[in-house]
Amino acid sequence: MQANTVLSVQDINKHFGPIRAVNGVTFEVEKGEILGLIGPNGSGKSTLFNCILGQLTPTSGGVQINGKSVAGAQAHELSKMGVGRTFQQLSVFPEMTVIENIIMAGQEHHGTMLTRLFGKSDAGLTGEAEKMIEFFRLGHLRDEKAGALSYGQQKLLDAAMAFMAGPEIVLLDEPAGGVNLTMLQYLKERLITYNREHGTTFVVIEHNMEFVMSLCTRIIVLAEGQIIAEGAPEDIRSNQQVIDAYLGG
Amino acid sequence: MAELLQILVSGLSAGAIYALAAVGFTLLWQASQTINFAQGEFVMLPAFFVLAGMTIFGLPLWAAILTAMVLSLLILGAMFKKLIVEPMLPHGTLPLVIATIALGLLMKESVKEFYSAQGQPFPTLFPQHVLDFFGASISVQDICNLIVAFAAIISLQLFLGRTRTGRAMQATAQDPRVAEILGVDVKRMVMYTFLINGALAAIASILISPVYLAKFSNGETLGMIAFIAAIVGGFNQIKGALVGGLLIGVIDNVAAVYISAEYRAAIPLILLIVIIMVRPQGIMGTSEGRTV
Repeated sequence: MQANTVLSVQDINKHFGPIRAVNGVTFEVEKGEILGLIGPNGSGKSTLFNCILGQLTPTSGGVQINGKSVAGAQAHELSKMGVGRTFQQLSVFPEMTVIENIIMAGQEHHGTMLTRLFGKSDAGLTGEAEKMIEFFRLGHLRDEKAGALSYGQQKLLDAAMAFMAGPEIVLLDEPAGGVNLTMLQYLKERLITYNREHGTTFVVIEHNMEFVMSLCTRIIVLAEGQIIAEGAPEDIRSNQQVIDAYLGG
Repeated sequence: MAELLQILVSGLSAGAIYALAAVGFTLLWQASQTINFAQGEFVMLPAFFVLAGMTIFGLPLWAAILTAMVLSLLILGAMFKKLIVEPMLPHGTLPLVIATIALGLLMKESVKEFYSAQGQPFPTLFPQHVLDFFGASISVQDICNLIVAFAAIISLQLFLGRTRTGRAMQATAQDPRVAEILGVDVKRMVMYTFLINGALAAIASILISPVYLAKFSNGETLGMIAFIAAIVGGFNQIKGALVGGLLIGVIDNVAAVYISAEYRAAIPLILLIVIIMVRPQGIMGTSEGRTV
């Protein structure tokens, strides 16, 4: 493992009875990379994602974040280890305003149990939260309830929340799902800008090929639980094995 | 007019105590999808902790109340969650509902068996004076009960709305999966909710027992009223439980005087049926969608 490796996935296997959903997958992700994880339906992407995030226990193999094993870590512990994530479904609190959602996303990473009870209710994060809202151009919606926002706006809020705790690595699960073309271009541009400005590492699962090819710096292709190709987007686009996997060849 | 004012104050006082139980009911549902049909017995039991502290252990009233509060947090909060809710909830809401009904019966029968089947006089915390207010006789105890119950609910609202822990609890209630990935210790937040319910039950018990005496069967009515108040107000809103509790307290008292003392118990049930038919999400509640 190299010094600037953020995520290391080592020989992960996940079996459900006779089905080998993930079969000996190994890869590393360097700091500041935007890695795409693609593959046809049933290729094991989501299972692998869930193994990395501790929501499924791998049959064998291990995952390290910054050299530390995450085996047995709960979701809230992973968050405190610098791992952010988004879900396929919207991950916002509909009854809270946009600013409250953003503050909520950062507050658990500051202070002690006492300051949570008696300290400032915004954890001193209002200024930072407003900057994040402006970065995703949601400023005009600051005090709107998240549940009242359009789907695309909620996706932007979702992404903003994933970054609020200053994670080292963010795993994005189908960020483009259900988002219209204009909003999609905007989301991609914001993700790339955030990556360049903060050096945050992304791992992205995505079905939208145009989106993933133009966003990612490297792509890993899974089929039947195994890595069948890995490389730059332009190499993957012309890889015959990948084309065959997608066409069922 | 004076009589109506008297009935209103008395109804609001009882309603505020019902609201404490209903708020606890709502909190448990929001945080962990627990429908606690032993909630009435949760309000019945702490009064017996106080009486046992005073009669068996010779504690002064304040110390007995403090002990009852601690026992309520431990038994009705932490132990209820660990021993009943955590093992039952993975099997679904219905088995948990049945378990809480069984728990209620166990608590009721245990008090009857090990303490007394007779209603026990309970020391009052407030003066027994009656004030004359524009011709209406207003009990100081009613006013004090109203103030204490409101103070408890307002404190809870401030805690939930103005503290980081409160916001984390709200986040847990809205979507525990998302709260957890943002770093919230969801299990701890759910435990806080159970502890708060234990505290609310203890406060309600200490306020209501001087009025109705401490009796093993008090939970039957209180549990039903808390459940109806939570549904009438809106099962997913604390302010709904408050409104539901106050409304039922007032309607119950008004019905007893102006309609029929015999049929007063039916009035909240009629209100429940009307609300379910006309506004199923409750007066203050919002519609909820769930994927099954």
